Amino acid sequence: MRPVVTSYQGTPQRVTTQKPSQKRSSSINISRMRKGFSIKPLALGIAAIFLSACGEEKEQATIYTNADECAAANPSMAEQCRTAYQQAVEEAERTAPKYASAQDCETDFGTNQCRVVRNESGSFFMPFMAGYMLSNLLSPRGYYSQPMFTSYSGNSPFRNRWVGSDGYDFGDQRQRNMRVNKEVFKPKPTVAKTMSRGGFGSSVRAKSSWGSSSSKSSWGG
Amino acid sequence: MLRVGIQERQNWRKKAAEFGFSFHTLQGEPYWDESAYYQFTLQQIEQDIEEPTLEIHQLCLAVVDKVVKDEELLQKFQIPHEFWQPIADSWQAKTPSLYSRLDFAYHGKGPAKLYENNADTPTSLYESGFWQWLWLEDQVNAGKLSKQADQFNSLQEKLIHQLSNIADFYGINSLHFACCKDTTEDRGTVQYLQDCASEAGLSSPFVYIEDIGLSECGHFTDLQDHVINSLFKLYPWEFMQREEFATAIIPAQVNWIEPLWKSVLSNKALLPMLWKMFPKHPNLLPSYFEDDLSEASETKLIKKPLFSREGANISLLENGKTIVTGQGPYGEEGFIYQAYAPLPTFGKNHTLIGSWLVNDQAAGISVREDSSPITQDLSRYLPHIIL
Repeated sequence: MRPVVTSYQGTPQRVTTQKPSQKRSSSINISRMRKGFSIKPLALGIAAIFLSACGEEKEQATIYTNADECAAANPSMAEQCRTAYQQAVEEAERTAPKYASAQDCETDFGTNQCRVVRNESGSFFMPFMAGYMLSNLLSPRGYYSQPMFTSYSGNSPFRNRWVGSDGYDFGDQRQRNMRVNKEVFKPKPTVAKTMSRGGFGSSVRAKSSWGSSSSKSSWGG
Repeated sequence: MLRVGIQERQNWRKKAAEFGFSFHTLQGEPYWDESAYYQFTLQQIEQDIEEPTLEIHQLCLAVVDKVVKDEELLQKFQIPHEFWQPIADSWQAKTPSLYSRLDFAYHGKGPAKLYENNADTPTSLYESGFWQWLWLEDQVNAGKLSKQADQFNSLQEKLIHQLSNIADFYGINSLHFACCKDTTEDRGTVQYLQDCASEAGLSSPFVYIEDIGLSECGHFTDLQDHVINSLFKLYPWEFMQREEFATAIIPAQVNWIEPLWKSVLSNKALLPMLWKMFPKHPNLLPSYFEDDLSEASETKLIKKPLFSREGANISLLENGKTIVTGQGPYGEEGFIYQAYAPLPTFGKNHTLIGSWLVNDQAAGISVREDSSPITQDLSRYLPHIIL
């Protein structure tokens, strides 16, 4: 899960108070702008997880392995269960880790745990969706869902764990009900197989080698 | 408009290190210069700079509206054919812009004259939005400047607000940021915008322009193979549209900041177009396309490449003869000509006003000085106050 940092140096330091006719920014979060003495990334990550774990935006969530299981537990919501399942399947296809070979995928997720996905530009391998996490199913404001994966590989730290598309570990696979931070339902970045890099930037190389002595030279203006 | 000497803050270099302002000195020469500041009256700021900024910006948008519908003009602007329709589409869809900077020659009185519009990749943003703001706070707190001193600088506030608007427009909570390698100034500018994005509640992953990848499905990717859905690029459209990945730009379906229609504004062909559409506007300088040069009655003209950065390749012509030539690698796409209107001088310094827009609002100014009449990327940045 991408850590969400709200503040890492205590209360933001606010300077100046608003004057009605002022032509400049009335307040600037100075601590956000400070770079030199900021906490190291590792510590920051831990602090961030701690912060978000202590946040108040907790949701009760349940993991189901398929739509029928969800419908059995929520008979009046069978249709929502199926729609949410389908959404999770599509989300899984978009965000699941992708591998160039079946072997690489099976190393992480276990034998026969991966499927091939083909499109016009080739084929790649991704793990089967092991379940889907649902929250707020009964809420009139709508529910949240996201795909869950698990690993059957003895080498994987995710063996018998529930794992989100981005590798976030939601705990033991036997555990189906949990309280999670709302953040976990935010859309995940699509993961893709990159075929080539370096297709931008050639103008800069050409214009730099033109003979400017400057090692800095902005490409803005 | 005055240039006033002032004692530097004793600790400012230490403070710069603390805040990560690493490009205050470039190639051994000062870039940030707080040995003096410029002082404006509120009337000068509001009547002579802010109002014309808003007005010129609207005129520029009128040019965009005309050019995107006119193939002959798109040709004149040297925009590659395959981008004509996407640029028009991005304009019709009103895809949001983050920021731009109009450069003016302003003498403290009379109409400010537009030099150019840096609409695609303006820099000196951090120095303007944050660092000069902090300088004023410090100098007022130290009793070196009057408590009444203000600054025309709501950049940071407006940037955060507009990043939030852009996120709402596209329904995104993450925005990638990119600039080229080996330029501390550009990296600093982009880091600043990343900080503003964080303040707006967005995640702001970074990737170098040269590291951008192309996925098998035709999306652009960062170094973690995450798809780039939305990208702020401190890299000119006219370069991107001519590079290897150019053909992938449209299929990649990225939410671009600046949007594609900025290709029309960051192009120096804008200047003769403005003059054709709004002749004799007090804030415009007479400007000509190469093939209309016979219409020019001015004896002194500035010759500018259609695409150029920071004063590169700009020449001064007098009665058709080249007097001063700025060096640089630009010019293969052609030139435009603009009536010569010298910058005001304060001592030996030639002073240029950069006037910022965030979205469509005037957001502050930056003041730069150069020992040459053509402002280069090594000119010095000086803070300003309103009093």
